[in-house]
Amino acid sequence: MEIGSGVRIGPFEVFAPLQPAVSMVRHYGEHHFPGRLIVVEGIDGSGKSTQLSLLHKWLESKGYGVVFSEWNSSPLVKDTTKHGKKKKLLTPATFSLIHSTDFADRTERSILPLLKAGAVVLCDRYIYTAFARDVARGMDRDWVRELYGFAVKPAVAFYFRVPLETAIHRLLDGRDGFKFYEAGMDLNLAGDSVESFRMFQGRILSEYERMISEFGLTVVDATLPIEVQQAQVRQIVKAHLDKAKELRVKA
Amino acid sequence: MRETYGRLLPEMRLGDLAGKLIVIEGTDGAGRSTQIDLLKPWLEELGHAVVDTGMTRSPLAGDGIRRAKEGNNLGRVTQALFYATDFVDRLENEIVPALRAGFIVLTDRYIYSLMARAIVRGMDPRWIRSIYSVALKPDAVFYLRLGIDQLLPRVVFSRGFDYWESGMDLYPGHDMFDSFCSYQAALLTEFDRLSAEFNFQRVDAAADARTVCALLQQNILQLLERDSRKDFMSRLYNDSTTAPRPADAALFAVAAPAAAPSTNGNGNGNGHHHHAAHPGR
Repeated sequence: MEIGSGVRIGPFEVFAPLQPAVSMVRHYGEHHFPGRLIVVEGIDGSGKSTQLSLLHKWLESKGYGVVFSEWNSSPLVKDTTKHGKKKKLLTPATFSLIHSTDFADRTERSILPLLKAGAVVLCDRYIYTAFARDVARGMDRDWVRELYGFAVKPAVAFYFRVPLETAIHRLLDGRDGFKFYEAGMDLNLAGDSVESFRMFQGRILSEYERMISEFGLTVVDATLPIEVQQAQVRQIVKAHLDKAKELRVKA
Repeated sequence: MRETYGRLLPEMRLGDLAGKLIVIEGTDGAGRSTQIDLLKPWLEELGHAVVDTGMTRSPLAGDGIRRAKEGNNLGRVTQALFYATDFVDRLENEIVPALRAGFIVLTDRYIYSLMARAIVRGMDPRWIRSIYSVALKPDAVFYLRLGIDQLLPRVVFSRGFDYWESGMDLYPGHDMFDSFCSYQAALLTEFDRLSAEFNFQRVDAAADARTVCALLQQNILQLLERDSRKDFMSRLYNDSTTAPRPADAALFAVAAPAAAPSTNGNGNGNGHHHHAAHPGR
């Protein structure tokens, strides 16, 4: 079965079409499953995980079947990623590929079957993280987008927008520095990990900014009080779940 | 100058890849590794430094792929991308540095096997081609072709049915024999298509190993003759602007001795790669 104007690119009909490189808006695979996919995006220190965890609790309390999936957590792949990071074996290209492998396993093993089963799937980081980071590392923008062409399009993708300095203050409060790849130290931008982090995350921020219109990300002002952000998030998610009453399971 | 299939990885310079990239392709049981074991010592006797590489030999992803395949629960997209990770790790850290140092790189399978496997498993050919658009175009691709009737006894009577070689992930519910036949036939069809598209030099792999090897040697000699290493060497010595940078000189110095052990011992032929061309590690 083909979805929309899409071409089947994976073994599943939800998989996405490859758009020509000139296309402004990319249509990743629209799925017709009963479940709902909700993702949060943003740089480290944007507070997105806090927001997702609050959303998770709320959805559970409402009686939905909720499953959480985290970036870089495939049982089949994460040891390889860890090995690559520890031994500093990763180049921008293999960094990109191993993360796409991890994402593919989570898509095939959990995200797709769960959406079929009617779950609300919450993802802390999604393909937009890969697009932002890999392009910040110098990978070709279109190559990375095509690499993730098998991804399912989320119902909502929240982008927690925060100024770089605010994020750095939040992150440094409680630890001394940043990890090698987290700070983009592999790019030799600066000798100091905080300075390198600042430059690398700056690049990531500008990639996120360009993706807001490209992918229709839902922007949340992450400098607002936590409660205010959460109220906005719940209101938007609620609108998506209203159309999907059959998801509700008995609490 | 050397080219890729369309896209360039960050920091990959193509201007000084003087070595030769020779691909041995073919389905399971076509005798690829036997040929590489024969070609490598032969090339070394002729004075060429040789690196041989093949699937799942990357320090990054090789072990991870083997572990993932043990469980029989490796999905199709995941599988395709895991192999792509392994390939690109070897491309960047083994193949390209070796070519830059003037080595002959003999590779047991290349992107074509990986594309064929993915396409047979239902991936969009354009998707998998896009991923491998970063690969280098080789100097020659020798496709050891074996029909399904000849392939079956070679594979099955020597080592029995293997889950993945039989494509059991693709045909659940079949028995191993039926699955093997369907899977290998689908692969052969795809290989034959790729053969036309990518200009493979077809070699009848049903002939005995010595005959196949003689044919390969003849073709490789022509290849080396056509664009001789002497050219490269004379450029190095005559034009100081193209003289090797210190990093390359150092790489060559590190890499050259490591090729030596296999020169006198062609018995360790099971294709374990040398780390000679891993300057970064």
